[in-house]
Amino acid sequence: MAIIELQGLAKSYRVYQKQEGLLASFRGLLRRQYQEIHAVRCVDLTVQQGEFVAFLGPNGAGKTTTLKLLSGVISPSGGGARVMGHVPWRRENSYRRRFALVMGQKNQLWWDLPAQESFRLHQQIYRIAPESFQRTLDELTDLLNVGSLVRQPVRELSLGERMKMELIAAMLHSPDVLFLDEPTIGLDVVAQHKIQQFLKFYQQQRKITILLTSHYMKDVAALCQRVVIIAEGHIQYDGSLVGIIDRFSGEKVVTLQFAEDQAIDSLDQYGTVLDAQPPKVRLRIGRSEVPKVLAAILNRFTIDDIAVEDPPLEDVIAKAFLQVDDPAGLESHPDRLA
Amino acid sequence: MRRSAHYLQVLLTFARNSLIRDLTFRTNFLLQAFTATSWTLMNIGFYLIIFHHTPSIGPESGWGKYEFFVFLATTWIVNSLLQTFFMPNAHEFSELIRTGNLDFALLKPIDTQFLVSFQRMEWSSLSNVVTGLILLVVGLWHLTTQPDNPLVLTVGVFLLYTFYLLCGVTILYSLMISLAATSIWLGRNQTLYDFWFYITNFSRYPMEIYQRGWGRPLWGFFTFVVPVLLVINVPARILAQPLRPGSSVSLALALFTLVAAVCSLLVSRFVFVKALASYRSASS
Repeated sequence: MAIIELQGLAKSYRVYQKQEGLLASFRGLLRRQYQEIHAVRCVDLTVQQGEFVAFLGPNGAGKTTTLKLLSGVISPSGGGARVMGHVPWRRENSYRRRFALVMGQKNQLWWDLPAQESFRLHQQIYRIAPESFQRTLDELTDLLNVGSLVRQPVRELSLGERMKMELIAAMLHSPDVLFLDEPTIGLDVVAQHKIQQFLKFYQQQRKITILLTSHYMKDVAALCQRVVIIAEGHIQYDGSLVGIIDRFSGEKVVTLQFAEDQAIDSLDQYGTVLDAQPPKVRLRIGRSEVPKVLAAILNRFTIDDIAVEDPPLEDVIAKAFLQVDDPAGLESHPDRLA
Repeated sequence: MRRSAHYLQVLLTFARNSLIRDLTFRTNFLLQAFTATSWTLMNIGFYLIIFHHTPSIGPESGWGKYEFFVFLATTWIVNSLLQTFFMPNAHEFSELIRTGNLDFALLKPIDTQFLVSFQRMEWSSLSNVVTGLILLVVGLWHLTTQPDNPLVLTVGVFLLYTFYLLCGVTILYSLMISLAATSIWLGRNQTLYDFWFYITNFSRYPMEIYQRGWGRPLWGFFTFVVPVLLVINVPARILAQPLRPGSSVSLALALFTLVAAVCSLLVSRFVFVKALASYRSASS
């Protein structure tokens, strides 16, 4: 069942173009120049119930704007959207009780109070029954391992702890749809991993629908079955994570462990040498060349160990973004884009 | 749960959370209360000096020393209520718009104007309600016990006073929230405190002082266009100069205040909703 449907969704706004200098500032008092920014252009997307979708794209691509449109925070300049049958920007309470938006760079909890007090306020705003509230709170604090911290003022919590509290606040009313805007930004690897584990477990348990934006590919790889790449306001790719590697990377990384006591030379004839620390060497080889190249290497050298891997996801995504930024690149590889 | 009960419950939690926060910084809380009370006491000292020079504000105006005490007490109570409940929120609202944190208010399944109008309260500002009430009691005590023409007060008068006091608060709240909401269009609006200073300067004196010379246009403007002159004048008159034939407070003025309060609230709601439709958030 489709739970999120976007048809030709667009958002543009005017931005004041300030010229440099004091004189230009005075001129700006009388007459101003504006530029039309198209943050989101004609986005079509359908998300089924229970999907965990990653929304990827370079900075300024329109990811957060799309999430804000779907949350009803802002209104579109064109197109339409329905989430669980509701038009988000009508801001109906019946809709607002069924979703949550978590923004990694913003804080909605009362800064000077323990998170517990903000949770209680959420209970009342969302009209959560006391038993249900306590049960959900216990479950969430247990899953995120923050039991005693809920009584500590938010300003005295670490960034990771604060994000866990933000997640709890967002989930107290058991939303059916969750929009996560860079929830692990600025967190250390341990905190990132814990939040990933929590989101994965919670999503599988409750079968909720989640849209996630993140610049950490580990989040995406750990959580999302489906990836949507948005750039310059358009959807450029919609498919699986493996599909991204297939489309945007025609290469493999081959790690070779050479046997001792042999000369290792002229390896660049087989591919690009990424790293050479004999007896270990890493090569980048065209995907279709791998069997032929490996046969040649095995024929010439004694190899103790071989690993053939996809390039790091970050590199593939960066490449995809670069192709999107470069229209010439797009034109030369039109088949690679959705 | 009924809608009104739900909103009341949320309001009480806002009040509770704000008090917990204020009491967390207890020295700041006490200093704020002390500063507000000191200013008020200096204010009364200033008016005592004036009444050493004149028996009343304007001849035949009816604003003698103790009538004016009632007027002054009403000013403090109205201002204090606004500073406790609405001023921190109006100021915060402008900041929420500038920083984009208004996003969170828009996500909540509750009226957004209610949420941004009440979520922060500054309890230390309530100290002037106490000083205002003390001054009110002192003023009324003298007026009701004076040998010539003692004031007669009834429960009805007190109820009417409270009602019109709340009308005054409503008028000022409406102006304040409308001004704060313009930040959505302007991007930044730092005139809130200036506005507060100018407006309260006009509303803190009896209407009679504007009814001579070039004061008349001011009287007209601040009575019928931006009705701040009604805010203190009407409730204070109801108590200190009760409605009676020949009284300066006519029934028309009282009725007009009621209409002005309702219209102000409706206009502020219109401005708020219109402004909110133009909200474009801030970059994250």
